[in-house]
Amino acid sequence: MTPSKPFAAMLVCGAVLLAGATAAEALQGVAAAKARMGHMKALGKASKAMFEQVKSGAPDMAVVKVQAADIALASREMPSWFPPGSGQEAEPKSHALPVVWTDHEKFETKAKALAEAAAKLDAVAQAGDTAGVGPAFHEVGAACKGCHDTFRAKEDD
Amino acid sequence: MTARVWDLPVRLVHWVLAALIPFSWWAAKSDHLPWHRLSGYTILGLLVFRLIWGVAGSSTARFGAFLKGPRAVAAYLRGEGAPAAGHNPLGGWSVAAMLVVLATQVGLGLFSVDEDGLEAGPLAKFVSFDTGRAIAHIHHLVFWALAGLVALHLGAIGVYAIRGRNLLKPMITGDAELAPGAEAPGLAAPWRLAAACAAAAALAWFVAHGLKA
Repeated sequence: MTPSKPFAAMLVCGAVLLAGATAAEALQGVAAAKARMGHMKALGKASKAMFEQVKSGAPDMAVVKVQAADIALASREMPSWFPPGSGQEAEPKSHALPVVWTDHEKFETKAKALAEAAAKLDAVAQAGDTAGVGPAFHEVGAACKGCHDTFRAKEDD
Repeated sequence: MTARVWDLPVRLVHWVLAALIPFSWWAAKSDHLPWHRLSGYTILGLLVFRLIWGVAGSSTARFGAFLKGPRAVAAYLRGEGAPAAGHNPLGGWSVAAMLVVLATQVGLGLFSVDEDGLEAGPLAKFVSFDTGRAIAHIHHLVFWALAGLVALHLGAIGVYAIRGRNLLKPMITGDAELAPGAEAPGLAAPWRLAAACAAAAALAWFVAHGLKA
C-alpha cells in the first residue's frame, strides 16, 4: 500500500520540522547549558543500560545495539553542546568548568577520543560481537572519565 | 574474675568493620569503585553474620541479652542496675544504632548509580537511572550519620578511659574483669560459627551477583 497524499505531506512536514529543530540546536547560554545537562543525563541512562548488559555476562544484543548507536551519535555531537558562554556563568547548576573553553584544544582532543571509542563500540555492537561489547564499553567509560576528571566539577553532596 | 566477654567472631567483625568503613569511604572518594563494591559486599556479609550471631551466637553477642528497655538504661545512668558482662544498657543501643545505620548504608549502596551511569550497585538494575541517582545522594548523606555514630562511639570509649575503664583491651584480647556478681558469658559452639559464616557468605555472594546464583 502506498501512503495517502495527506499522509505523505505530513511526513514531509514532519521531516522539515525535525530538520528545523536540529538547526535550532545551536542554542546559546542558559538554554545550551540546560540542553547539555539533559543530553548528559540521557547518556548516563544509556550507560547504565549498557553497564547492566555487560555485567549480566550474556548481553541482550537488541538492547546493546540501540544504546551503542545512541551513545555513538551523542558522542559525535558532544562538542556542539558546549558553545562559548554556556558555562557556569550562564547556568550555575552546570558542572562544566571554565577550562572547557580556556583549554578548548585539549577539550576537543578528549571529545574526539570519546567519539572514536563510541564509534568502535557501535561497530562492535552492530556486528553482533557479544564478547567485544564489554571491552569496547570499558574504553568508552574510560574516555568519559578521562574528560570529566579535568573538565567537570566534582559533585557536591 | 577474668572472663572471655567478646568471642573471636565478635572481635573480628568489629575490627574488620573498623577497617572497612573508612576504606569504603576512601575508595569511593578516590574513584576506586570496584574496591568500594568489594568492601561493601564484605560489610554486607559481616552484617548478615552479626545479625545471625545476635540471635544464635555467644551470650554477650545476643540482641536479646543487651537490648534493654528505657528503665534499665535509666537505672544504668544512675549507676544502679544489675552487674552484667558485655554491653551495658546504653552501649547496647549504641551498637544497635550503628548496625541499623550501617545496614541502611549498605542497602542504599546496592541500588546506587554514579553520575555517569558507568558504575552501579548490583541491584541498581531494578531501579531507574533517576532513582539510582537519588539513592546515591542519600547514600552519601547516610555516611555522615554513620560517621557521627562512630564519633560518638569513640567519644564514649574516651570518656570511659578517663573514668578509669579500659574498653579497648577487651575488644582486642576478648577478656575483661567481671563485675562482682556478674554471670560469666556463655560461648557459642564452633559449629554455630561455621553455619553462620556459610549462611552470611552465601547471602552476600547472592546479592553481590544481582540476586542471581
